[in-house]
Amino acid sequence: MIMRIIAAVALLTGAASAQWLTTKTPNVPRTADGKPNLTAPAPRLADGKPDLSGIWNPNPKYVRDIAVDLKPGEVPMQPWAEAVFKERLAGLHSYEEPDANCLPQGVPKLDTAPAPWKLIQVPGQVVILYEAFTQFRQIFLDGRKLPVDPNPIWLGYSVGHWDGDTLVVESNGFNGKAWLDQVGHPTTEKLRVTEKYRRTDFGHMQIEITIDDPGAYTKPWTVKEGPTLLVDSELLEFVCSENEQDVKHMGTKK
Amino acid sequence: MLPRIILVSALLAAGPASAQWFHVTTPGIPRTPDGKPNLTAPTPRGPDGKPLLNGIWQMNGKYLQNIAADMKPEDVPYQPWAEQLFQARQNGALGKTDPAARCIPGMPKLDALPYPFKIIETPGMVMMLFEGFTTFRQIFTDGRELPKDPNPAWFGYSVGKWEGDDWVVNTIGIKESTWLDNAGRPHSDALHLIERFQRRDFGHMDILLTIDDPKAYTKPWTVKEDLRLIPDTELLEYVCVENEKDYGHLVGK
Repeated sequence: MIMRIIAAVALLTGAASAQWLTTKTPNVPRTADGKPNLTAPAPRLADGKPDLSGIWNPNPKYVRDIAVDLKPGEVPMQPWAEAVFKERLAGLHSYEEPDANCLPQGVPKLDTAPAPWKLIQVPGQVVILYEAFTQFRQIFLDGRKLPVDPNPIWLGYSVGHWDGDTLVVESNGFNGKAWLDQVGHPTTEKLRVTEKYRRTDFGHMQIEITIDDPGAYTKPWTVKEGPTLLVDSELLEFVCSENEQDVKHMGTKK
Repeated sequence: MLPRIILVSALLAAGPASAQWFHVTTPGIPRTPDGKPNLTAPTPRGPDGKPLLNGIWQMNGKYLQNIAADMKPEDVPYQPWAEQLFQARQNGALGKTDPAARCIPGMPKLDALPYPFKIIETPGMVMMLFEGFTTFRQIFTDGRELPKDPNPAWFGYSVGKWEGDDWVVNTIGIKESTWLDNAGRPHSDALHLIERFQRRDFGHMDILLTIDDPKAYTKPWTVKEDLRLIPDTELLEYVCVENEKDYGHLVGK
């Protein structure tokens, strides 16, 4: 994982010379000295629903291990999944990690990718623009159902609905190739992900993520993540295929 | 360019059939009595009277191959070095040097990909979500100025404003290694793109694209690209890096 940490450092140096990084985000409550007041109440839209929009910065510990807050053994892996996980944890397959090969992170790893993402609510859908790989994801809130026999894809198919102040996003149709994290919790085509987004105050979001994948786990399991709002900034361009030098240093083919 | 053409044909033909949400009913589309979208209905307008640009659009595919497809060849005002480089790239002779061959998208070819894109207007920013490369552009309409000395980027930096019924997008800061088209027309770091989005009616839009690059061209030149609305469907996922087989067959360094 050292190479990935180096890659993250490269991101930091990129930021320094980029543009529109000091844009003043409008409609942010501020203290008397002009600093954003991130503990002000969560904003609401005209229809009374929480306004989740903004640029959110994930806590980077979850991209390494989505289960970092769980106790060992609390991820209910099936035997084959545990065997794969242990090999991946030992670094035997790190060159195969899709993310390292500039393939999409999948959901929910994209939520935790160590680069910010911008959430935008428009009528009938939520769009998330990810700095990571400059990808986007559409979450439909127009009442459509999840597809019944979907063509498997990396980012799946996502629909959302409101449960009180919580946006509940359900996704299926994954291709089973994505890793849930860098340590390598596996997925299969049976994966269904439920993400519950709740903006607890102006500057903080909680995402409760349930992994329901009967192909790899004996029962659904749930983790929580908490991105923070990134104000007065903008997404940068992140093109993974440009000058990618990591993967040849990762692991060794058996 | 043969591999690229094969790739495009195969994907277009095979992708949609098995994909999902390919048949949704797009709300807000005027329809004829038999339920078909009426694509020649008037341009929809917002409360401010400006044309609405929202929708899934697909560009006439010929401009990806040749941005000057509608011009006489001698009407492209090359600087000598730009014409020499364009000639050197002819017939795929330097295909490997096109960043798109390595799955790196860039402007202005991104708009001209033969896959649809979705425009979503929001206060202060207009999104273009591209099926090709599953990537996006943000075009800021919040009054910010273009950056003065931008860090060069594949998509550049874009701001948009209304001039009458034209939505005018100015873009600078594009990396000079992108190509204007598959034929290989080059540009320099001085490239300034001006896109004028003109929605003619419900189902048709033109982009008047001006290439203003005094280092590569002796004067600004403009092409008109036509797009059609794609109703009752949704963008598919397109991951260029997955199982990419073209690059090894392209020539050049």
